[in-house]
Amino acid sequence: MHLVKFHRNLPKFKFWTKRRYSHALLTDENEYTEAPEYPPILDMSLQGRKLRERQIVHEKIQKLNTVEEKQIALNMPRYYGWKCVMLNEDKIPYNALPLVKCYTRTHFIPSSSLPDVYSETASLADLVVKQTKSLIEDIIILESEAVKHNYVAEQEKPEEQQKEDMITKNIVKQINRIICNKLSDKASHILSSQADYEPRHEAFWFVGGLDVPHTVRNQRKKHKWLRDQLEEPIDRPVQYIGTPLLTLRSNLPLKPLLPYVEATNPDFKVPKFSFVPESVGYHTQHRHGTNIPGFWTGDCDEFGLLSYHGRGHISVRNPSFGLEDNVEALHSQALKASFGWLLGQANYQGFTTYNDITYPLVTQTIITNGKLWSFYVYQMNTIAMHNEQMDENPKHNICFGTKPLQLYDTIENGQVKGFNEEVLKMLVQLYLNAPEERDHEMKPFLGKEEQIIADIEDDEKRRWLESRYKHLVSNRPKHYLMPEIYLWERIYKIKHNTRFFEAKRRFFERDINPFKRRLDEHLPPYIPKVLRPYPRCRKKFENTYYPKV
Amino acid sequence: MSTRWYPIYQRGNPQLRVFLPNFWMKMVRPHPKQLPNIVHFQCSMEMTKYDIKNYLEKIYNIPVVDVRTKITLGRFRKDYGQGYIVKDDDVKYAYIVLPKDMTFKFPEIFDSKKNDEEENMKSLDEAKKNFSDYLEKNKDRTDVPSWFSI
Repeated sequence: MHLVKFHRNLPKFKFWTKRRYSHALLTDENEYTEAPEYPPILDMSLQGRKLRERQIVHEKIQKLNTVEEKQIALNMPRYYGWKCVMLNEDKIPYNALPLVKCYTRTHFIPSSSLPDVYSETASLADLVVKQTKSLIEDIIILESEAVKHNYVAEQEKPEEQQKEDMITKNIVKQINRIICNKLSDKASHILSSQADYEPRHEAFWFVGGLDVPHTVRNQRKKHKWLRDQLEEPIDRPVQYIGTPLLTLRSNLPLKPLLPYVEATNPDFKVPKFSFVPESVGYHTQHRHGTNIPGFWTGDCDEFGLLSYHGRGHISVRNPSFGLEDNVEALHSQALKASFGWLLGQANYQGFTTYNDITYPLVTQTIITNGKLWSFYVYQMNTIAMHNEQMDENPKHNICFGTKPLQLYDTIENGQVKGFNEEVLKMLVQLYLNAPEERDHEMKPFLGKEEQIIADIEDDEKRRWLESRYKHLVSNRPKHYLMPEIYLWERIYKIKHNTRFFEAKRRFFERDINPFKRRLDEHLPPYIPKVLRPYPRCRKKFENTYYPKV
Repeated sequence: MSTRWYPIYQRGNPQLRVFLPNFWMKMVRPHPKQLPNIVHFQCSMEMTKYDIKNYLEKIYNIPVVDVRTKITLGRFRKDYGQGYIVKDDDVKYAYIVLPKDMTFKFPEIFDSKKNDEEENMKSLDEAKKNFSDYLEKNKDRTDVPSWFSI
């Protein structure tokens, strides 16, 4: 039987062994050059080869056509998601600023006023402040004192925090409405902008050059070839999740605060914070990395103007942290929120954490509780900070920010006392900062015709990518549970080999690491026989369109 | 505070008794590379975060900003000589955050001991060398006792 099979295959083997020419190949006359041309010398060490593998993946991601495919490609190496360091907008541990500065690669410049760029609109802002002052005073009185709120508190957050954020949300909505109404005839960009209430802001990136957690060290100790690089720094995936109270978006980006060459200025160098984030109060979670700036791809208003954030979490912070640390917590919240939003926007322009942005992006962030207002202006110059880029990338992001400023002193007998017009003026100036068309290409890493998956002509591919992308970023639990090592197995099978006579069927006995499973390592949906095309079709499984990276 | 059972006093027993508390904290060397304002302790399993904070503030006057605790699983090991597997006790760790301008360095108590060890090793090496010299010298008369020499 086997011989028959072999006989059938013989012609195929002949094809490979066949001699094609009866004489030696004709030598090319142009083979010789004046100067010898050598192939490039490659680093053939383990690290060198791994680095080249990674760089090839980064190039492949860069060459993908659509935004969504790039996002899926970022998640391709992990079926169960990356083990992300979670940066929440409103959970800020003690002394958070050094870590946030390093992870967002931001140089923070505290100041008492807005940067000089805003002085052009000062006179117009004064006029608008005069018109809106009394209206805003009314709103503050109404929303702070006259409204009785009926609400159901969530379980996860403290009630005090939710109450403060809810009142703030109403004040902010009203103030935004008043200022937009007054400005719509004076500033055309306000009229055309879009406002989002409580949008979903998520951002995902890699931070490299960090200390090795002891679990990774222990793993490295097991392999002989890794023993000399126990302390080699690693990449940590980072996921930011935040919900602003209100954001404004426009179809054009804001003007850069500083010229782009300033990004490489060594004065803005950020000190490195390489300690393991779990040791300073952050936690990790297995999840797919998501980049969502509050809208889906295809929206025409894809650049942020400003975002309002609540500060209810400050009121429930541990009092032993002190007032000074609360101000730093606000700064770190602003850095996280600004960077997170801009990174989401940059991803929609076709950049990823592996493919650095080619032009600066700017946003304005306001953190408020209705009474205290802090203003931040953030310029993002770089998003590449993974292991290879952390020490070599000369660019840094820059953020200007104020301390919390009081809009008014107190509310007494239905009257606002000590209203500070300067604060309102700063707020109006942020609104008056007009976006501008850039004279360079905005989406250099996206395709010419296909920029988002909605542009794809092939119906089946488009539908598949759309549903896969939305399902991926929803981060819903898997249909099958994650593989688990039960405690009895850890004790009696892994730590102590007391059950050596049993068949080795579990993944850890067969040297399979389930967390290294790739996203596309699963059976595609089965096509039942009745649904297969007539007359005979052997295709049992549906097509998948995972990006090839 | 103590929940220990002490023996009922019988006549003739010693009168002085020390009532040890259930609460104890033991400072341990932190993992390599830790922020200088974070101190690691092992503490008794019954202590809550508030207990830990009060313990350090009230007894030792240490300004505690934040306390994080975790309980680590005890080690599983084969009982010596018996072969069955036993488990060590779990340990509660407390990570104390001091104000950010304060630093703490775990003291090197056993520096001198390390030096002693080195000296011991030196003398041991010397003895080994003497012995090998002696063997070398007497290799052609192995049946002669060591005391029989000039």
